[in-house]
Amino acid sequence: MGSGFEFNIIANLATGFGAAASLENLGFALLGCVLGTLIGVLPGIGPIPTIAMLLPITYGLNPLSSLIMLAGIYYGAAYGGSTTSILVNIPGEASSIVTAIDGHQMAKQGRAGLALAVSALGSFFAGCVGIVFIAAFGPPLAALAQEFNSPDYFALMVLGLVMAVMLAHGSVAKAFAMVFVGLLLGLVGTDVNSGTQRYTFGVTFLFDGLDFLPLVIGLFGIVEVVKNLELKEMPRMTVAARFRDLWPKLSDFKDAWKPVLRGTGLGSLLGILPGGGAVLASFASYTLEKKIAADPTRFGRGAIEGVAGPESANNAAAQTSFIPLLTLGIPSNAVMALMMGALMIQGIQPGAAVMTKQPELFWGLVASMWIGNVILVVLNLPLIGIWVKLLSIPYRLLFPAILLFCVVGVYATNTTPGMIALMAGFGALGYVLHKFGCEPAPLVLGFILGPVMEENLRRSMVMSRGDPMVFLERPISATLLVVSAIVVGLIVVPAFRKSREEVFQEDSA
Amino acid sequence: MIRIKSPQDFGAGAVILAIGFAGIYFSGDLRMGSASRMGPGYFPQILSWCIVALGVLIGARSLVFDGPKLEPLELRPIGVLVISSLVFGYAIEEVGLALASTAALLIAPYARRGASFREAVFLSIGLTAFAIIVFVWALGQPLPVWGGR
Repeated sequence: MGSGFEFNIIANLATGFGAAASLENLGFALLGCVLGTLIGVLPGIGPIPTIAMLLPITYGLNPLSSLIMLAGIYYGAAYGGSTTSILVNIPGEASSIVTAIDGHQMAKQGRAGLALAVSALGSFFAGCVGIVFIAAFGPPLAALAQEFNSPDYFALMVLGLVMAVMLAHGSVAKAFAMVFVGLLLGLVGTDVNSGTQRYTFGVTFLFDGLDFLPLVIGLFGIVEVVKNLELKEMPRMTVAARFRDLWPKLSDFKDAWKPVLRGTGLGSLLGILPGGGAVLASFASYTLEKKIAADPTRFGRGAIEGVAGPESANNAAAQTSFIPLLTLGIPSNAVMALMMGALMIQGIQPGAAVMTKQPELFWGLVASMWIGNVILVVLNLPLIGIWVKLLSIPYRLLFPAILLFCVVGVYATNTTPGMIALMAGFGALGYVLHKFGCEPAPLVLGFILGPVMEENLRRSMVMSRGDPMVFLERPISATLLVVSAIVVGLIVVPAFRKSREEVFQEDSA
Repeated sequence: MIRIKSPQDFGAGAVILAIGFAGIYFSGDLRMGSASRMGPGYFPQILSWCIVALGVLIGARSLVFDGPKLEPLELRPIGVLVISSLVFGYAIEEVGLALASTAALLIAPYARRGASFREAVFLSIGLTAFAIIVFVWALGQPLPVWGGR
């Protein structure tokens, strides 16, 4: 065979734990989890701004350590976000919106400890399953990716972007426009084929392309701060949470284990889907739990299933959404786009080659995900008191600190004032787009994929001597494009559109 | 008479249209090439025209379908944050992290109304010390603490 792929799950995980379990890397995983939770728990800061702001401090590390730390930051941020949505009812990001619905009601009824524990333990279980998923499906998918040629990759990216648009909430046309704007921004810099400058306006620091960091920190970090400042009053913690009774009773376990299992399964599958991920998984799980519940009216009034299911689902999906990134090089959502950006800064082009050429890196990351999950459970539940204290810091003291973090991070990675100007510019652009109801997440996806897509389109056209039919003659690309076309068709069908809106409507509750 | 039924979408359409036209205009002198040998201008032109088309679509829909009202743009928060960031970026080149951060953080609190100057002073000193300890000493970022580069 000689494909270079090792399919033995145990051997692979052993490689991974060997690489990830060094004292140094354990330290980075721990640091990542703590920092991620620390920032993620702050009201109104979701996983995306958290990762964007903390990205610069991972730059100096070697690739594996930096990835391990980033993954830790991601889980920490997600966990912190759940804590905030349960206690304060302000979800930092869309993936914790549904947690807030029943979780906060539970907190109001004095069951905050239970909600937090169920969320942590459900997430832990889901995380473990998600990792087995990666170990099982990663190698076959990467082997399949070896069959892919330029037209197939191009078609795959089209599908990925189409799915991302369909599965995002909000206007489809605007999301498509944001994808295209992102793709265009991705082209800024020197064209690799001809050496021609594109959209650089003679500015030297643009010659190597638009830097990723000022873009994401402007669009997410700065815009987030401005959005919060516009609120008349930052919501404060309204519930007096008791943490003595963190451990669920046996009856709670009985209520929660089935939703956890369903959420895990659903989340693992939806995470692999192009365009899927934590947000979709949590919404889908909540909808499912509500549909199959004997008494759906309990939802929105502190139903434990409404916390257990979505929280498990979003963590499972958070793990499995690494699969398309690491095997195909396609980020399925904005968080994965950030991970891809971080990898590329380290000089690694995500894709099947990572698994064969750098198995320690791939499996080390997978193993570190599990380690991160363990750290979160053993560390965060006991430390919950500290995280709660952080919640009571008034925002007027917090936001200057966030701003300082943003500017220092951007400047430290590329010491030109122009970088700060870019960040500020994207902050302003992001603010205007936000006012007009345009989400920045699809833009970031497009930005990351822009250069890769152009390159694959170019190669395909060279292969076929300019005949676009090449995309329909190859079975893989034809299938992917047909699926994309069906998805676009579905979006236009009114009946489907209505149910898509319904799935994302839970936040009105 | 044409009436804008969805101001938010109308605005979005206008911004997107502007971005699209900018994309077309600034890639105008790039060589297009042919489909089999794409020049540097080929993909940007395709993308820009797609953006224009979507801008037109979104704008046109805003005249037909009712949509959400436009929330007022508040210039103060974003304006102050932009200024504060720029002060940091350009000052650090000249005077180093300590003073640049202090200056930026004296400005930043004014992004919200009713900021207290006393609080801004304390905050800027405290956070600057924190930034130097964390970024320069603990993380070893190559930033000049005093003086420019």
